[in-house]
Amino acid sequence: MRVKDIMTKDVVSLKPDDSAFEALELLFKMQISGLPVIDGQGKLAGMFTEKEVLSFILPGYIEKVGRFIYEADPKSTKKKFLELSGVKVSQLMRKDVVTTQEEVTSSEVARVMLTQKARRLPVIDKNGKVLGIISRCDILKTMAKETTS
Amino acid sequence: MLKKLILLIILSLGLGFLGAKAGLNSHQAIAVSIFSASILGTLFFWDFRLSFAFLGTSILLITKTVDLDSIIKFSSLEVILFLVGMMVLIGLMKNAGFFAWIVSLILRIKNLTANKFLISISFISALLACAVDEVTSIIFVVAAILEICDYFEVEPTPFLIISVLATNIGSSGTVLGNPIGILIAAKSGLTFEDFILKAFPLMLLCTAVLILILKIWYRKQLSELDKKMKDLGANEILTRLISVPPEKELKIALGIFGLTLVFIALHHRLELLWGLEPNTILLVIPLISSGLVMLWKWRKAREFIEKDVEWWTLLFFLLLFAQAGTLKYTGATDVIAERISSLSRNNPDLLAAVILWVSAIGSSILDNVVLVAAFIPVVQSLQALHLNLKPLWWALLFGGCFGGNITLIGSTANIVALGILEKERNIKMTFFRWFWVGLTVGVITTAIVWLALIFLPFYK
Repeated sequence: MRVKDIMTKDVVSLKPDDSAFEALELLFKMQISGLPVIDGQGKLAGMFTEKEVLSFILPGYIEKVGRFIYEADPKSTKKKFLELSGVKVSQLMRKDVVTTQEEVTSSEVARVMLTQKARRLPVIDKNGKVLGIISRCDILKTMAKETTS
Repeated sequence: MLKKLILLIILSLGLGFLGAKAGLNSHQAIAVSIFSASILGTLFFWDFRLSFAFLGTSILLITKTVDLDSIIKFSSLEVILFLVGMMVLIGLMKNAGFFAWIVSLILRIKNLTANKFLISISFISALLACAVDEVTSIIFVVAAILEICDYFEVEPTPFLIISVLATNIGSSGTVLGNPIGILIAAKSGLTFEDFILKAFPLMLLCTAVLILILKIWYRKQLSELDKKMKDLGANEILTRLISVPPEKELKIALGIFGLTLVFIALHHRLELLWGLEPNTILLVIPLISSGLVMLWKWRKAREFIEKDVEWWTLLFFLLLFAQAGTLKYTGATDVIAERISSLSRNNPDLLAAVILWVSAIGSSILDNVVLVAAFIPVVQSLQALHLNLKPLWWALLFGGCFGGNITLIGSTANIVALGILEKERNIKMTFFRWFWVGLTVGVITTAIVWLALIFLPFYK
């Protein structure tokens, strides 16, 4: 099976200038953890995920400080959450995105997802234009279908 | 980028050519050129510095400027292994929650006033930099400062600058504070006790002077903080903000770290007692401690080595030391030392002043390890001229550490702290906002060291 046969073609996406708060609301509404960000030319600009929002809200030094437990909520988290409406998606999105192409096999995409720890991969053409998106679930569903049939 | 590369090639070739004109032979001129390229590489292409070090060292070998045995000898593997051991140990401390525990202690300071905050963060920053290293300590002091400033709703920048300035001063207090400390100790024969008796008190004095300067410099910000502290009352949320589990692990880690510090402090006496070569215990203790840590935490041993040891930096140091050693091997530094000595008319006070101020100004722009690595073979060559080297080593240590305060790129601690400030609070430091306070502190504290080196026979 090739990516083009199983990918989702109608991609819900965000624009780089969208508000991060509105983008987060869209994630809540769609009950997914991330969406691709596509620029005016239809090219992939990045990925906006809940993880990026969380790392914006929580202090960046928490990993460097080492192991500890928050016994109360720091003042900064509420403040940072309120700042989300003034922040653009482009400021928070991950720019270094692992992508795939239409002709790649589903096993290869699965391998990339496992090794790169990616939940979903945008499918792009040679010019970087987004053609669709493929998730772990899409691959597993296809595998299940093929096996049972 | 291409312009910078061309400039780097022209400057490094030009320095070698000038050296040749001034009487250096071809191997000496090549060694000067290659070392200059490595220094300029750190200045222009920080992220590619290791590439320059790899290429430069290869050229030194291919041109027979130095042989393989000597390159290995000059790479100061003992210093690198010491740093590896300490990095593993710091990784354990981080994993056990030691740094978070320190943050929680800072957050729990009772009856906080602006003055108490200024004095506390200055001394905590300085002393922690002495005990671990400046780059590690600055991260958690900055974390505590940001939480406190957030709670009291004041701008964190002045307090972050205070902490960084104190960290750079503090890093001169022991051999552990800065890589240049262990480098100087390994090359000069100065012991941990020498550092505690001579560098530590001078560091404390300079920290006290720093507090006085900053109390005046940031008087408005301090009075604003005082007002906020009165308005918002006791810092109850801060005192219970974070906790550190589990206590047993932290206690064992603290025990290992404490014992390491005790043995490092006693290294000279133990070496005398057991008839070992100078610095053997100093360099071996972090290896023993990290070896024990890896046995205790065997599941995480690989993680400690792969993630907590900064191999990129250490490999750069290793090759840089090898290139600096080549300067001595070819005799280039003997020629430079003779010139410096004759220019200073063999006056040791003048020589110490030159080394102190040149290293302070130099390390305000360059990485201080690069600068000290360049100076060490020159100072060693001065020994042949029968000069007293001790004040020169102290001058190099203090100049290399205090010069880092002058500009915002002067030390790794500055860059790390300002990076956190920009990411967390979207505050971008301007060059001159840092420069005026940094220059004032840098010049006054370096002048204190200068006076101590001239007037106190203790340092001679």
